[in-house]
Amino acid sequence: MELKVNQDNCLGCGVCVIACPVNASISPENAGGNGAKTTEVVMMVENGFIKLFSPDKCEECGTCQMFCPVEAIWLE
Amino acid sequence: MIKNTKEIKGKDFDVTRSADEVRNLSFKNHICIGCGICESTCPVGAIDLGDVATNARAKVDVYFSGHDKIAQNINEPVDLQKVNVNEDKCVLCGMCSGLCPVDALVLTIDGVPIAEIDEYPSYNVYTIIDDDKCLLCQKCQNACPREAITIKRQLPNRVDLVTGEIEVNEEECINCGVCSELCPAEAIVVDPTTGQESIVIDKDKCVYCLVCKKVCPVNAIKAVCRSCSYGEYDLDPELAKVKGSAIIEDALCVRCGWCEGVCPADAVEVKKPFEGTLVVDQDKCGTCGACVDLCPCNALAFPISEGPGSRMEHVIASEEYCIKCGACANICPNEAITVTRTAIDNTPINSITWNKAFDALKN
Repeated sequence: MELKVNQDNCLGCGVCVIACPVNASISPENAGGNGAKTTEVVMMVENGFIKLFSPDKCEECGTCQMFCPVEAIWLE
Repeated sequence: MIKNTKEIKGKDFDVTRSADEVRNLSFKNHICIGCGICESTCPVGAIDLGDVATNARAKVDVYFSGHDKIAQNINEPVDLQKVNVNEDKCVLCGMCSGLCPVDALVLTIDGVPIAEIDEYPSYNVYTIIDDDKCLLCQKCQNACPREAITIKRQLPNRVDLVTGEIEVNEEECINCGVCSELCPAEAIVVDPTTGQESIVIDKDKCVYCLVCKKVCPVNAIKAVCRSCSYGEYDLDPELAKVKGSAIIEDALCVRCGWCEGVCPADAVEVKKPFEGTLVVDQDKCGTCGACVDLCPCNALAFPISEGPGSRMEHVIASEEYCIKCGACANICPNEAITVTRTAIDNTPINSITWNKAFDALKN
């Protein structure tokens, strides 16, 4: 399985960034959208859209997909 | 996990997610028109229209039929909790804020409303009153169903509009008070009390109509109107102007267009967010009045009888002042109202999700 994003659908709400348990373990202080300070996390919102930074770290739990309101991030 | 906080202030509330980037969804009940666009738009089903429908319909018992309602044809504000947001479901994406036609729901990111952020769309709407054309007549202020317009005006001094001379011979005056009672400008004060009789004429109020002079039984008043005798050459037209300005409270304005419709000077321009139609099926209408109560635009009203035996429509709909918000169609228990949106004027956006959401408003 692979983590995929579709920026056309993204609302930039940043819920996936916060919900992702891997992100939380890498950068607990930075959860919350645009403001993350390290690109070490799996994904972040950049310029209002979701962007994958280290998709290889994804544990494929599907939490992001569950929270995403508009199917902008999913496992395939 | 995601934890939003919700702060409730009366019928208003804030849903906040604090992180490096602070997202806050603020709801203002008095601005909300109960149209339900947010409820149908929310991608996570976090919004519900609360009890707008049931409560407004319950109110229907208060009026039984036409007559009570006709007496109060203009809607009584329905003071209900119009929208609820489930803070555990809300992801603060801002879609409700972007599609709310009246800014009742506003998402701010780090304190900036998304309407001011280029990446987010907003409706192209406005209400403009041209101060140069405005006659400050206050017709728009009186017609506005949302009390969003204030016309602040400063009237000229009466003394600058007329000139003349007036004098009372206090020796001859018998303090009968007839002049005072007749004076249309309430410029004369007479004290008839025995022993302390007096008469005072306030020249700032006097309009030199000469009624006092004509009525005085002892001819104690000498007065002449200069404006009448010599024309108005010694009056400065600048001093006769009404000064002031129109103030629109943008947050309350729903762009219904009443102000534009009633303005005698074509000084108002209103741009609405939607184009479309409003149709009432008179056969289905039960004249309950829920729509009349809820309509934020006073676009729906009961007709007033022209006499016994006259047959009228149940509810009259004025498309001119309708904003096609759809609140009436949502609330109607008989599905007698159809609101169709054919065009939406919003700032362009690339996101497919947003565009789909705008498209979904058309029907």
